[in-house]
Amino acid sequence: MVRFKNRYVLCEVVAEEPRGRHCIEDRAVATAVRDAIARAYGDYGLACCSMSFTVKYLNAYTGTVLLRCRKDFHRLLCSALPLVRQLESRGLRCPCFLSTLHVGGTIRSCQKFLIQHNRRQLLTLLQNCTNEEERQRIRQSVLSCSLTEGQSQSGDEEEEDDTETD
Amino acid sequence: MAGFADLNVPQGPDKKGLQSLLEAAARRESGSGAAAGPSRAGGAGAVRRFGPAGGGGCRPLPAVLVGYSAVALNHVIDFKEKKQEIAKPVSPSELFPSLPIVQGTSKQLKVLTRLTLVVSDPSHCNLLRSTSSNIRLYDIIAVFPKTEKLFHIACTTLDVDLVCINVTEKLPFYFRRPPVNMAIDRGIYFELLYTPAIKDSTMRRYTISNAISLMQICKGKNIVISSAAERPLELRGPYDVANLGLLFGLSESEAKAAVSTNCRATILHGGCFPAVCADWLAVRRVELRFWAQTPELLLVYSRNSEECLWGGVHGEEASQG
Repeated sequence: MVRFKNRYVLCEVVAEEPRGRHCIEDRAVATAVRDAIARAYGDYGLACCSMSFTVKYLNAYTGTVLLRCRKDFHRLLCSALPLVRQLESRGLRCPCFLSTLHVGGTIRSCQKFLIQHNRRQLLTLLQNCTNEEERQRIRQSVLSCSLTEGQSQSGDEEEEDDTETD
Repeated sequence: MAGFADLNVPQGPDKKGLQSLLEAAARRESGSGAAAGPSRAGGAGAVRRFGPAGGGGCRPLPAVLVGYSAVALNHVIDFKEKKQEIAKPVSPSELFPSLPIVQGTSKQLKVLTRLTLVVSDPSHCNLLRSTSSNIRLYDIIAVFPKTEKLFHIACTTLDVDLVCINVTEKLPFYFRRPPVNMAIDRGIYFELLYTPAIKDSTMRRYTISNAISLMQICKGKNIVISSAAERPLELRGPYDVANLGLLFGLSESEAKAAVSTNCRATILHGGCFPAVCADWLAVRRVELRFWAQTPELLLVYSRNSEECLWGGVHGEEASQG
């Protein structure tokens, strides 16, 4: 059966300033990646990678981005990702870089990886907790990390203050 | 599997900037931000970000960790300027009271010292030949030859660990096979920088063309890719650097080795294991490769005769000599 095979690239947007988070939106990321491919590979590269290129998932709080491209051209995309230097949206410019976390063939495999990755992050944050209440919340979040069969929409919407220890 | 290493972090006077760069290289904590909303990944929970709870004196972490387990602070000496004294390397434990912990493991980031000599005249190499004690105190010694003759000398006779390849301008000379093959046999690695490629498009062209001309001669062996990042934003994760290696003409496995096993072999070549002085012993290249793949067994051979001087089982992390 002939079917189009895709590759899903999971990246993380790393920015220096906290206010840069507002720049992270799908159109800004797509434009920035396209520009980087154009600069590195020119018209040919841009044309190849645009065949099935979209930003499938974006989480502005954690800076996680899931990109899709054709399987044959995912090398072009992956090698052009380090050349992204800034994101622009609504006139705001935010210097940042993209760090590749995982390349998978399906969204589900990237999802599984992301869950494990987030769980590890939570455990690291658990070590740096300063008060008991945060500790409890993080423990709760870690326990609720799982891939459930009917996409549960709960997410723990916890507005926690950030503690910047200086 | 050898951990990832970035062997070129320029050592400037700015201590805090350097600290933040090291943290960026080792740790994965992004800057402050409110907690996450619902994540699509089936309730992965709130991922909270807040500044590092690091030791006193380090400012809030700007960048996320990318996953390097070793970093070498680079001190560049340029002989064209007035005669500079080669100072003793500052020990990393003095500069950084607390080293960040590498993400994914529980070990601290390993910080090494490195000296780069920019040579444009054969008389500058005399410094390397003299048994000056200050030079030997650095963990890695690199040379940056500017002419073909110096490139030949560096590959064949000089006792260095890394030969830097110029990426910021068109190479004034072509690579030839004999010195490159001799360097590969001696265990010397060629270093490419990737930060100029990220910053500027003209530099990118020079980097790619110089790198590809090197690849055609050395077939992708003995390459180390490192950053010369002055700010945390210029750093890239090891997988991204391996992908950049694909741009430079390496194959996928060679590119990954350029960031991990080759770096480890360079560090070993620099003489980081105890009871071995880099002057009078050389670990043969075959044994170095073997070490890099199976860290348990290490055999050390003498330079002159073929007898095995020392053999033993060694742990994953060799302590510094």
